[in-house]
Amino acid sequence: MTDSRRTAAPEVAVDEAAAGFRTYEVYQRERVWEPRPPIKPRELYTPQFLDDPYPVLTALREATPCYRDWPGNAFWVTRYDDVTSVFVDEPNYVTRPRAWFAELEGIGRDRRDEIAVRACVTRVGDAAAAEVAHALCDELAAEQDGAGAADLAIGFAARYPVELWARVLGLPRQSFAWFAERLLRLRRAASWEPRTREDARTAFHELLAGLVPVVAQRRDDPGEDLVSVIATLGGDERDVVATLLEEDHDTLHGSLANLWFLLLTHPDQLGIVTEERRLVKAAWLEAMRHSTPVLIARRFTRHEVERFGRLLPDGALVVCSAAAANRDPRAFPDPDTFSITRKNLCHREARGHYRADGLCSPVSFGTGAPSKHPALPEDRPRSRFALTRDTAVTASRVLLDRLGDVRLADGATPTLRSLQWGELRTCWSLPVTFTPA
Amino acid sequence: MASSCPFHAVVDRAFGIDAAGVPAEPGARKDFPLMPVGTAVDMGHAPDGTPLFDPRIFTTLEFQRNPYPYYRILRDHHPVFHDRLSNAYYLTRYDDITAAYLDDLGFNTIPKGSSSGVLGNTQLELSGIEHRRRRNVYGRHLVGLALEKRKPYIERLANELIDAWGLDGSSGTIELARSFANEFPIRVVCQVLGIPDDGRDRFFYWYSSMMNGLGGSDTAQQGREARQDLEEYVAELVEQRRKQPTFLYDEAGAPIGKDIISELCATEIDGDVMSTEEITSNIALVVGGGGETTRGAILNMWYLLLQHPEQFAAVRADESLWDAAFHETLRHSTSIGGQPRQTTFDVTLHGVTIPAGSLVHCVDVSANHDDRIFAEPERFDIFRPDLYSGKLLRSGYAKDGRFSHMAFGVGPHLCPGAWISHQESVIGSMVLSRRLRDVRIAVEKMPKDIDDTSLAPIGLGSIRNLWLDVELV
Repeated sequence: MTDSRRTAAPEVAVDEAAAGFRTYEVYQRERVWEPRPPIKPRELYTPQFLDDPYPVLTALREATPCYRDWPGNAFWVTRYDDVTSVFVDEPNYVTRPRAWFAELEGIGRDRRDEIAVRACVTRVGDAAAAEVAHALCDELAAEQDGAGAADLAIGFAARYPVELWARVLGLPRQSFAWFAERLLRLRRAASWEPRTREDARTAFHELLAGLVPVVAQRRDDPGEDLVSVIATLGGDERDVVATLLEEDHDTLHGSLANLWFLLLTHPDQLGIVTEERRLVKAAWLEAMRHSTPVLIARRFTRHEVERFGRLLPDGALVVCSAAAANRDPRAFPDPDTFSITRKNLCHREARGHYRADGLCSPVSFGTGAPSKHPALPEDRPRSRFALTRDTAVTASRVLLDRLGDVRLADGATPTLRSLQWGELRTCWSLPVTFTPA
Repeated sequence: MASSCPFHAVVDRAFGIDAAGVPAEPGARKDFPLMPVGTAVDMGHAPDGTPLFDPRIFTTLEFQRNPYPYYRILRDHHPVFHDRLSNAYYLTRYDDITAAYLDDLGFNTIPKGSSSGVLGNTQLELSGIEHRRRRNVYGRHLVGLALEKRKPYIERLANELIDAWGLDGSSGTIELARSFANEFPIRVVCQVLGIPDDGRDRFFYWYSSMMNGLGGSDTAQQGREARQDLEEYVAELVEQRRKQPTFLYDEAGAPIGKDIISELCATEIDGDVMSTEEITSNIALVVGGGGETTRGAILNMWYLLLQHPEQFAAVRADESLWDAAFHETLRHSTSIGGQPRQTTFDVTLHGVTIPAGSLVHCVDVSANHDDRIFAEPERFDIFRPDLYSGKLLRSGYAKDGRFSHMAFGVGPHLCPGAWISHQESVIGSMVLSRRLRDVRIAVEKMPKDIDDTSLAPIGLGSIRNLWLDVELV
């Protein structure tokens, strides 16, 4: 939407028609010299926002650095510099785990930061990454033989992280469908929508019940997998599920789907990657910048702070819009173009500073707080961000090798959208045809 | 596109997207299904078995046509419901709502931003003594003797409208809204206000634009323009009446009294005459309150009575039963869903704390269907023993073990037009029923329920059209 009203410089506009009848709210806003908001309050919560949030976010970013969202009771921060300033400011903002949003506190311990767990995830995950990708490619080929077009969005991108987690946990093959469905439902535990949330809670309890015998068995006879590791550490099935709840495998799903959505809808860029396999990592990073699957990161103020021309009260919810920041023309020239060979994008992981090489890093998953380990310790060689990135890159390279001449199926018009507010914005159907290699 | 991948089914079950993973079109989402009237869609349960309530249902078609089972859930399980989507609270029990209406201090009517742009500065948004003074200025023209004197005029008006159908002693099909109910109330209002005949058509346009603009939607602009036009028109009228007041006349041609605009021009509040702006706002309010709601009441009353022929026959046999029919209609299906209030300070009710300054919706519709007060509330029964249907009580809502319905509210903001609306509907319907020999709903022209055979329920608000097969006397 290139409406001039949206991009005009903020000013105290006077709506002539309503001039005589200012409501109390308008009166207060004018009294504190606050410009008329560039959007209607509910525009952040419409179905259109689920399909394409960028027009609204652009209006916010250009008109007001910190938008007071009354329906959501939050402060929206949309400019690149502002968003990154919140991410690196741990003394003033607190990040809360998903269990807090899901109101599932006290239901188990998140074990992700323990060294043994980390080592296990890295070891098993790395070993399985390429293997799982190859297995899925086989199925895609079979699917293409059967139905004429294979679906990359569900058959690969959505399935891949779940398969990987089933491997990491060492679950038996026959319980995969059971596990997959519950893991996906668990993702929505922090949803605002009561029915969805209740469904996620049910999935939570089903997972707990289902994992009881597995944990008991592994405690007696430990293996290489994560369940064994957690059992050995003295945890139970509650810890396993709590760890699963916090682990954002959905970022892997979203980033794979969005990367391939962008590559397939930009055949010239796909050509570049096919020529130069080492550019897959750059492509992934640029995809995260151009269409990030995680639109927002939530932070809460630890105390009253004055920021962005406002007084943020104690405990205020600050919604950092990664989508808006990643398309901020102040940080990335020509932000709406998807270009793998972009020269103004930092390829290093943001670890406490977002302009490592004098270039801006994309704000993808709300990561980037200053590292507790300035020098990376041996047992924690990669951050979660790097794990996700490397796994996605490995999987995409396998795809490129296995699916020769991959392109969109005839007549397909894939789109990105969130199924519900605050959820992953990604592609839910990506039919492709290819020559199996 | 059929897919052989078994993972589709998993994602489908987990996320509820349709089988192919492709939505029918961008933006198309699963909605609440239409349920049989009286049954609520399952919105999930908390672990302890309490039914959950999803605030998105408020904007659905399902809720519009079948609201009562949902309000029952709210009354029984969430008596103070916090809608986090629009950050408003809902009161749904009869006792809570009447208490809130009578507590003018705790639940005030000073808006944070609603209709003021369209209606202007009216006493809807005032409280306390200020409110009482303004309201009484014109409120007294809408009650008592002033009302009795206008009776013949209203009867004559109804007869004129029926004559205009051109169905002399023959049968035919009419649409009651277009041929009677739309115009009748607004003409009564015009007459009471003293609007000249030539202004009445324009008046009808302004009135509908303003009503459409109240929601603060895209039509608000049209509403504000209509108000602007109305204001200019009335300002001119007021200037004339200040010099030369006009009068209402009875059948014999004797003056009954001044019309309301002339009265308002001469009225002093605290030694000040009312400004033109104030008069206009009051008129806008009378127009809005007196037109749309009465229209809905007449249509709903006939729709319900004709679906209960034995009660219709009783009313025809004994015309004094029209009062009971009117009140039972308003209890069963009223055109106004409820009234907003704002909390003045933190209020804790049923264990929920409503912070100061919150928007509280008092749902009259739900109070009227509260089975703590009215037995079998979904049943339409004009002989109901628990409904008070005598002369409306200004200060109370219960008398002799009977309770009045909440369609007019109660307490200081009790609808000032309640009496005239009652009189209009009853006289209009009485005249209609005398003139019609045989009357039935033209079922084939009316909207149907989901079974495609029975008549659609009224739901919230009023029906828009009522097709009747009639035979004139």
